[in-house]
Amino acid sequence: MRWLLVAPAVLIVVALTIFPLGFSLWVAFVQYDFALGDQHPWVGLDNFVENWKDPVWRASLWRTAWFSVTMVAIELMLGLLLALAMLRPFRGRRVLMTLYVIPLFISPVVVGGFFDLFVRRPYGAANELASWVWPGEVAIDFSQDSPWVYITLILADVWQWTPFMFVILLAGLSAIPDTLYEAADLDGAKPRHAFVFVTLPLLLPIILIAVTFRLIDAAKLFDIIFSLTRGGPGTDTYTTSYYLYQQGFEFFHLGQGTGGAWMFMIMLTFISFWLVRRLLKPVEEA
Amino acid sequence: MSDDVHHDPDVSQEDYMSGLRMARRDFLIKSGLAAAAIAAAPTWLKTEQAAAAIEASTGGAAVRDPIATTAVNAAKQYKGLSMGRINEAGPQALDDKNFSGPLWEKLTGIKTNLTEAPFAQIRTKIIAEDLAKSGALDSVELSPAWLPDFADQEVLIPIDSLIRKYKAQATLADLHPLYRGLARYKGKTWGFFDDGDVWALYYRKDIFGNGKLKSAYKAKFKRDLRVPRTWDEFNQVAQFITDQLAPKVYGTGMGRALGNPGNQFYFFQQFRANGGRFFNPKTMKAEINNAIAVKTMNQILLQNKASPPGVEKLDFISGWGLWLQGKTAMIMAWPPTGRISENILQRDKAFATLPKSQIVGKTGYARVPGQNGEHAGAFIKGVMATSENQDAAYLYNQWATSPSISLQRVMLPYTLRDPYRISHYRSPAYKKLWKGADKYLETLCEAANDAVLDLSMSGAGDYANALDRAMTSMYAGKDVKSALDEAAREWDSITNKLGVAKQRASYANFLKYPGATGKNTVRKLGQAVKC
Repeated sequence: MRWLLVAPAVLIVVALTIFPLGFSLWVAFVQYDFALGDQHPWVGLDNFVENWKDPVWRASLWRTAWFSVTMVAIELMLGLLLALAMLRPFRGRRVLMTLYVIPLFISPVVVGGFFDLFVRRPYGAANELASWVWPGEVAIDFSQDSPWVYITLILADVWQWTPFMFVILLAGLSAIPDTLYEAADLDGAKPRHAFVFVTLPLLLPIILIAVTFRLIDAAKLFDIIFSLTRGGPGTDTYTTSYYLYQQGFEFFHLGQGTGGAWMFMIMLTFISFWLVRRLLKPVEEA
Repeated sequence: MSDDVHHDPDVSQEDYMSGLRMARRDFLIKSGLAAAAIAAAPTWLKTEQAAAAIEASTGGAAVRDPIATTAVNAAKQYKGLSMGRINEAGPQALDDKNFSGPLWEKLTGIKTNLTEAPFAQIRTKIIAEDLAKSGALDSVELSPAWLPDFADQEVLIPIDSLIRKYKAQATLADLHPLYRGLARYKGKTWGFFDDGDVWALYYRKDIFGNGKLKSAYKAKFKRDLRVPRTWDEFNQVAQFITDQLAPKVYGTGMGRALGNPGNQFYFFQQFRANGGRFFNPKTMKAEINNAIAVKTMNQILLQNKASPPGVEKLDFISGWGLWLQGKTAMIMAWPPTGRISENILQRDKAFATLPKSQIVGKTGYARVPGQNGEHAGAFIKGVMATSENQDAAYLYNQWATSPSISLQRVMLPYTLRDPYRISHYRSPAYKKLWKGADKYLETLCEAANDAVLDLSMSGAGDYANALDRAMTSMYAGKDVKSALDEAAREWDSITNKLGVAKQRASYANFLKYPGATGKNTVRKLGQAVKC
């Protein structure tokens, strides 16, 4: 009877997770390419090797890494500053907090489209606004010229995801008891000492959680690239997810794309594993 | 008019007011009924094109088109069926939504269920459907460049036996020779050609006739200002106009965005007009990084320099927007450019994609510099091998592309289908669409006589994409030679992956098409059509 009760859930998991995963593993080891016909001979590690040999794939890995780290670092700093600023009650705080979190509810594709319109020449407002603060006329192609195209992508991601950091860190900050700050004050600690020796150590687990979530998410960066640059100019803004999307769903080199996806997943798993271990370290020590 | 004007002194004020009330009520009722009737009537019913199409499909012997009539009569047995279609999102899909779809349903009782997708994604959706085999698509639009892959992988069905069965052989003879072979591959016919996407040069007659500009040009270059005939001349004239008139008017401005429409079209055209070839036909090594290719790319970069800022991200619809606002003096583009310039398409409210033209009556037509215009993109109507309604899908395709129905479709006051039949180019009805339409049709016909084709062979989509990406990297400042070397390496890698022998055969097949190179255009093969 108990097996009967869990059977639907098991069937759903098998059908929607286990089977596709197993099927994709098989696809990664066979020739599965639209242009090469519907025969699927075993090709061993060829699909994985094809990816490693492709300089676009290798470049996309490095780009994904530095995009993720840069974006998450900026979001962490801005999120922390915002959380600290919003910690104490003040007039209009609720309205501001609502405004801050709105980007979180917008689809990343829409965010990319919005930034595309914002920076696109000759209609976008970006150059006009930049001309207000910069002497002389500004004529930058923010979605084409290096390094501006990277800055635009980072800005778009930071605009959307800083509120995530802000919300989580604000919750963490709110949970720190006031008594600790009072004790520090009695011991003669200045505010910056209280921040370094009270706030940061107690906030660290929360920071690690937020950073872990965001890093894993940022490593999959796709939507903003898709709607803002389409990976261009050339392949200069290809992230690994975009590269894999193109191999799989534009060129239908499904074997190579699936092989690449497995490689990428294994890399992400190692990184996530390392981050989670760091996360659990204080708990294990306690 | 005021009520006083109609006041009859013999009628009492009360009677008059009563009569007026009646008249107003009557007017309101009649107006309401008329408004309701107009609102209720489908858009297609209101057009003269629809009336002509119905007449050609069902009328008497004097007016009917036997190819369309045969298709309609045979398709009636499938009444109640829902047929899956895919077409390019936006203006192209308006044909399905506002004309062909509802008209086909009225004539046969077959509904059409339309999927819209951007041009490049039509290919991916067709492939995805082929892999999934869901039966969602029956009749599809595909670019001739994708046909070899689709035929090799049996995504489509060959339709030769159906053409014989439904007596449609005559439909092929009326096609311009450039288009006649495009739906054929390895000795079989895989669909009906349906869109004459040949590029021409559109220029502003008022700018080229401007006395001050002409004098300044002559003073600077010691020759008359004229519509350019070579790419070097084009770049010189474009830059001159930009120097003289920008930011009000720029010399040129063509869509250079990645994948929209795809920069490979520009390269394909100019590269071959300059004497280039894509591969060494024996070794299949890519030749898109030789001296001709470098010269071609440098010419293209000079065009960007003479264009409005941001041209590198300009899609083709935005390029048209600039042109219609009078911001550019010359563009090399698809045939709808001539129609939108005269507000032929924008007169229908369904065509809201583009602004009204501010250059009506000012557009001149010419063949593109180098004379070999690109036949870029285009569409063939095919039938999916996974379709459970292949016969019905075929009959729809036969009807929609028949000479009389296709003529109405290329004249619709919306959508982007372009003339491709000899009968289209010679149509008196089309020539009356606007003053100068006869010259427009003549230019398109002549452009087709000299046009070169998109690369149509196995892996064409991959080759095009690699080149498109490389070109955008050059727009962003990457060294031309190294970017072309990289693209050539990518082409070689694609060739090796698909198999050199297979690709050699596929390329050899492509080279047989009229227009595969600048040396075997329709005109050079002695098949030019006089329109």
